[in-house]
Amino acid sequence: MLRASLLRARPALRPIAPAVRPQWRVAQRFYADDKKLSETVIPNPAPSVTPSNPSPAGTNAIPSSDVPRTPPTPQTTGRSAAVDQPATTPPTGPGTASVAPDPKAAPKPKKRRFRRFLFYMTLLSALGYAGGVWYSLVSDNFHDFFTEYIPFGEDAVGYFEEREFRKRFPGRAGQPRLHPQVRGENKVTIPGKHGLTSRVAEGGDFASKGPHVSAVADNTPAKSPTTSAQPKVSSQPSAKAAPKVPEPQKAEPKVEPKKETPAPATPTNATSHLDHLAVPAAGEPVVQDVVKIVNDIITAINADPSHGGKYTSALDKAKSELGKVVSDINMLKDNLNKSAEEKVRSVHTEFDTAAKELVRRLENEMQNQETHWKEEYENERERLSSSYREKLQAELDAAKKVYEQRLKNELLEQSIKLQKSFASSVRERVEAERDGRLGKLNELSSSVHELEKLTSEWNTVVDANLKTQHLVVAVEAVRSALDNQVIPKPFITELAALKEIANDDPVVSAAIASINPAAYQRGIPNAAQLIDRFRRVASEVRKASLLPEDAGVASHLASLAMSKVLFKKSGLAVGGDVEAVLARTEILLEEGDLDGAAREMNGLQGWAKVLSKDWLGECRRVLEVRQALDVIATEARLQSLLVD
Amino acid sequence: MADNSSNPVAPIPKTTRPMSEALLNEKWDRCLSSMLIRSGLGLSFGIVFSVLLFKRRAWPAMVGLGFGAGRAWEECDNSFKRAAAPSKDGLRVIRP
Repeated sequence: MLRASLLRARPALRPIAPAVRPQWRVAQRFYADDKKLSETVIPNPAPSVTPSNPSPAGTNAIPSSDVPRTPPTPQTTGRSAAVDQPATTPPTGPGTASVAPDPKAAPKPKKRRFRRFLFYMTLLSALGYAGGVWYSLVSDNFHDFFTEYIPFGEDAVGYFEEREFRKRFPGRAGQPRLHPQVRGENKVTIPGKHGLTSRVAEGGDFASKGPHVSAVADNTPAKSPTTSAQPKVSSQPSAKAAPKVPEPQKAEPKVEPKKETPAPATPTNATSHLDHLAVPAAGEPVVQDVVKIVNDIITAINADPSHGGKYTSALDKAKSELGKVVSDINMLKDNLNKSAEEKVRSVHTEFDTAAKELVRRLENEMQNQETHWKEEYENERERLSSSYREKLQAELDAAKKVYEQRLKNELLEQSIKLQKSFASSVRERVEAERDGRLGKLNELSSSVHELEKLTSEWNTVVDANLKTQHLVVAVEAVRSALDNQVIPKPFITELAALKEIANDDPVVSAAIASINPAAYQRGIPNAAQLIDRFRRVASEVRKASLLPEDAGVASHLASLAMSKVLFKKSGLAVGGDVEAVLARTEILLEEGDLDGAAREMNGLQGWAKVLSKDWLGECRRVLEVRQALDVIATEARLQSLLVD
Repeated sequence: MADNSSNPVAPIPKTTRPMSEALLNEKWDRCLSSMLIRSGLGLSFGIVFSVLLFKRRAWPAMVGLGFGAGRAWEECDNSFKRAAAPSKDGLRVIRP
């Protein structure tokens, strides 16, 4: 089992295996063919004709057949043993099969019991076999035992294993069925199975241990221990069809017991004892059977005390003929064997050559494949190496580039740093240098600035002075224009100039606004004109000075008349009457006190006031203008004072 | 300057309103003229009446003169009295 698995796992051996397998199979087939041949050959003459055909052809066929039927009764044990063997032998050997029919005919009365026994035995053995096969599939130990010691157990187990294997791996249908025997085990199994050399030893073992070893043999000792030798003989030639060496060995033991058995009989029968047939090379089962029959006959004759040497001549003749036949058969067999061997050898050689051819082809193929693979491998290796070299080159280039770039960058950085440090140091030096001279320069510039400021201040002062000067000039111009006029003239232009010069001074503008528009539109009279007009007004006022309240024509006439006769007052007259007021006003006017004069005139009542109304209005206008001009002049003076 | 001075010269005498000191004189002129006209008218009406109705008698003419003169007097007196009230002329009137 383990070997089989190992073999399965070895795939290298598989291609070779088929080459070897046929060789083994041939051997097996040869054996199988032989077995079948023997089986087929024997059944045809099966019951008793076959033995009679070869050997007692010349002798009486009928008596020989009749005779054994009667005597076998006492030899039931031997027959039964011979009978028992076939029950087990059918799978194993053909030799017993031929023997079997003979005894079967004898124990016909016990047929039923025996048949039942046979049936049970076959059933049991079949069951046991099936169980063995099943258990060997289960247990490894039992598998080893079963395949080694049970005939065909290996085949059966191998067949089931193969089936299982196929079921498990349906793809490998072409696998050999009996691989465990076929593969590597060849060296071991062939001798074991073939039995050319090793069977000799086993035969010896069988001879000594008899019942122990083979399962086939187990049955025989149970039924007939005495005839155990015979079944073995039969079984062994059946197992191995064409062994040359074991045959004589096996034949001898067979012959010897047969000789021994009559030996005790001889003392009883004195001279007429017939010798048993002793065929030197009675390996052939047919010959054996014949010899056995003849021996039986001889024993029967020997047993019969009354034969009296009647059949000695005939028996001797038969013996000699039988020996001849046996020798013929042996010769034929030898020839057959030789031819078979030759055939086998030729086939061997053929297969060897075929195998060698196959192996050579395989080797060639393998070599070709190997060279192919080597070439491929070389190509691949070269390709890989070239690609790797290229890659390496590229990597190196890239690394070099990167490194160079980095170096450049570092250089640049260093240069930048140096430049920066240089610039900073230079700046520091320059700053240090500059601080000395720049300080002085700063001082100079500050002093210049101060000077500029001073000049600008003085400029403003000068400007203000100029302004005030202009204002004063303008005021003076207006005054002079008012004073020097012959007749009242409008002085709008002068006032406008004054306003411009004043540059919208609030005080100046307010003063100008206080002047009655009529004043500068029509102009104002100067002092002389005012006095002149006052004199005219005074004469009229004097005419109406005596008028009462709500005076009519008569009173007016009276006042007009009476005023002509009134005394004129002069100087600062005392009193509230019209004449005194007029005198005071005239004095004040002459003194230049226009304001006082106006106040005096304003105190008049009635017609006098009505008549002096216009003059009074004029006086007021003049006074307003004078006041405004005075205010402007003082403002100009104040500004000129404020500048400093 | 000459133009400026010459231009305003004209408007000053152009004032339509009479000067305040000439106010009384003007009233007197009107009174006299009206008296003359009305007394002349009355006289003439009386003469016509005397001629047409009173057969050239003197008194209807005198009555007519008297009516005319009386009418003129009355008018003159009224004008004097009315003018005596203080006029608002020359004073600035500030309206609320």
